[in-house]
Amino acid sequence: MSGKGLVDAERRRFNRWALAPSLIVLFMIAGLPAIYLVVTSLTPFQLVNPGSSTDFSSPLRNYRLLPDDPRFVNSLWVQAKLSFWGVLFQVLLGMLLALLLHTQSRVVEFARTFFLIPMVLPPIVVAIIWKLIYTPDISPLYYAAGLLNIALPSLTSSVDFALTAIIIADTWEWLPFTFLMVLAALQTIPDEFSEAALVDGANRLQIFFYITLPFITPILVISGMFRLIDSVKAFPLVFLLTGGGPGSVTEVTNYYAYLLAFDFNEIGYSSSVTIVMLLLVVAVSLGVVWMGRRREAMA
Amino acid sequence: MSGPIRRSASVRRLVAIGVTLIVLLSPFLWLLQMSFKSNDLILQFPPPLIFTPTLENYTSLWQGAFPASFVNSLMSASFSTALALILGVPAAYALSRWAGRGKHALSFAILITRMAPPIAFTIPFFLFYRWIGLLDTVTGLVLVYTSFNLPLVIWMMQPFFETVPQSLEEAALVDGASTRVVFLEIVLPMVTPGIAATAILCFLYAWNDFFFALILTRTNARTAPVAVVNFMNYEGWEWGKIAAGGSLVMAPVLIFSLAVRRYLVSGLTAGAVKG
Repeated sequence: MSGKGLVDAERRRFNRWALAPSLIVLFMIAGLPAIYLVVTSLTPFQLVNPGSSTDFSSPLRNYRLLPDDPRFVNSLWVQAKLSFWGVLFQVLLGMLLALLLHTQSRVVEFARTFFLIPMVLPPIVVAIIWKLIYTPDISPLYYAAGLLNIALPSLTSSVDFALTAIIIADTWEWLPFTFLMVLAALQTIPDEFSEAALVDGANRLQIFFYITLPFITPILVISGMFRLIDSVKAFPLVFLLTGGGPGSVTEVTNYYAYLLAFDFNEIGYSSSVTIVMLLLVVAVSLGVVWMGRRREAMA
Repeated sequence: MSGPIRRSASVRRLVAIGVTLIVLLSPFLWLLQMSFKSNDLILQFPPPLIFTPTLENYTSLWQGAFPASFVNSLMSASFSTALALILGVPAAYALSRWAGRGKHALSFAILITRMAPPIAFTIPFFLFYRWIGLLDTVTGLVLVYTSFNLPLVIWMMQPFFETVPQSLEEAALVDGASTRVVFLEIVLPMVTPGIAATAILCFLYAWNDFFFALILTRTNARTAPVAVVNFMNYEGWEWGKIAAGGSLVMAPVLIFSLAVRRYLVSGLTAGAVKG
C-alpha cells in the first residue's frame, strides 16, 4: 500500500508543522519561565541588591530556611484549612444542589444557567461582592443581623472568623462548579435502576445511598480534586477581603509568596516558596489525571 | 407520565429551587442594585430596596480613566485569544490524529503549564519584562494570557476534532488533497462551533484575570479589574463607582457565558487543572 504510506508520511509532516509553533511558544512562555524560577530559587536574589541574582554560592540556602520560617509553615496550614473546608462544602452543597435540580422540566433546565453565575464572574468582582457584604456600614448582612438583634463582629478582621469569611466566599464562588459536574453525572444514571428499586419497595433514601451515591462517587472525588488544585487560586479573595490578616491567619502560601516577591523584594526566597507550592500542586494534579485515566479504563 | 418516577418538577421542588436561587444570587444582585444608587442612598441605613435608579455612577466612570482600562482589557483578552487559537487549533488537530507513542505524555506536559499557580509565572515574567521593557504594556499581558490560553485551546479542541469522521479525510487524501487542504477546507469548517466556544472561554479567562494585571501593569496597560480595585483608595472607598465598575467588568462575562454554557464544563475542567 504505497498510497497509504505516502498519506501517512504527508500526515506526519503536517503534524510536525502543526505542533511545532505551539510547542516552541509554550516552551518560551511557560518552559523558560519555569526554568528561570528554579534558577532564581537557588540565589538570594533581592531587587535592591545588585549581583544577588547570580550568586550561586549557597544554592540550597532558601530551601534550608523554609522549614524554620514560621510564616511559611503557617501559610501551608492556612492553605490546608482553606482547601479542606472549601472543598468539603463545595462538594456537599454542589451535590445537594444537583440533586435538587436533577429533574426533567423546561423551567428547571432554564434556571440551571443562573446557578452558574458566581463561578463565571471575574474573581475580583466576587471579591468586591463579598467585601461589600463584610463591610459593616453598607452590608445587607449586618443590617439583617441588626434587625434580629444579633451583634455581628467585624468578620474579616476577627482572628476567629477571617478565614471562615474567606471559605464562605470561596464556597459561594465555586459551588456551581461541583454542582455542574455532579449534575452531569446524575444524568448518566439509567432510570431503570431506580425504577426497579422503587418497584421492589425501596424508599428515596435507600435509592440515594445504594444507587445514586455509588454512581456519582467518582465524579464527587474528581470534582473535589479539581477544586483542591484550584484552591490555591483564592488570591483575589485574600487580597481584597483580609490582606492575609489579621496577623497571618488568612495568609495562604500563594499570598505569602506574593508579599515576599513584590512587597519585601525577596525574589529568590519567594521563588523557592513558589516551587515548593508548585510541586505540591503537580503532585495533586498527577493524582487527578491518574484517577481520570483509571475511570476511563473502567468505563 | 407513566412509570413510577415522576418526570416533571413538583411544586415543592420548584419553590425550593426558587428560594435557593434567590439566596445564592442575592450577593450578586446586591452589587448590581448598588451600582444604580447615588452615594447618599448607598450609605443610608436601613438600605432602601425601592428607590429611583440613577446612572450617575456610570457617567462618572465614563469621565475618568476607566474607559481606557476597559479598552486595555478588551485588547489583551482579544489578542491573546486570537494568538492562542492560531497556534493551538492546528496543534490540537495534530494531537487528535496522532496515533504515535508519547501522545499522552505530550498532552500532559502541555497541561502542566496550566496547572501552575499564577505566582510561578509572575516572578519570571516580571523580571524579564522589567529587563526588556514590557512591564505595563498590553503586549506583555497578551503574552502572559497566551501562556495559559494555549493549553486550554489544545485540550478543548481535541474532542471536537475527534468527532470529525476520519473516513472523510482519508477519502480526500487518497484523492490527492494535501493534509493542509483537508484541514483547512474539510475539518476546520466542521468544528467552527467548537472554535467559537473555545474562543469565548479563552477571552473570559484573560478578561477575568486580576493577578497578572495587578503585578505586570501600572497605569498605561492597567486593565478594568485592577482599575475597579483602585477605587478603594486611602481617601475612602467610592462604593458607587466600585459597584458600577464591577458591574461593567462582569457584563461581557455574563453575556458570553450564556452563549457557551453547553461547553462550560469541558472548558472549566481543562481550566480547573490550573493554579
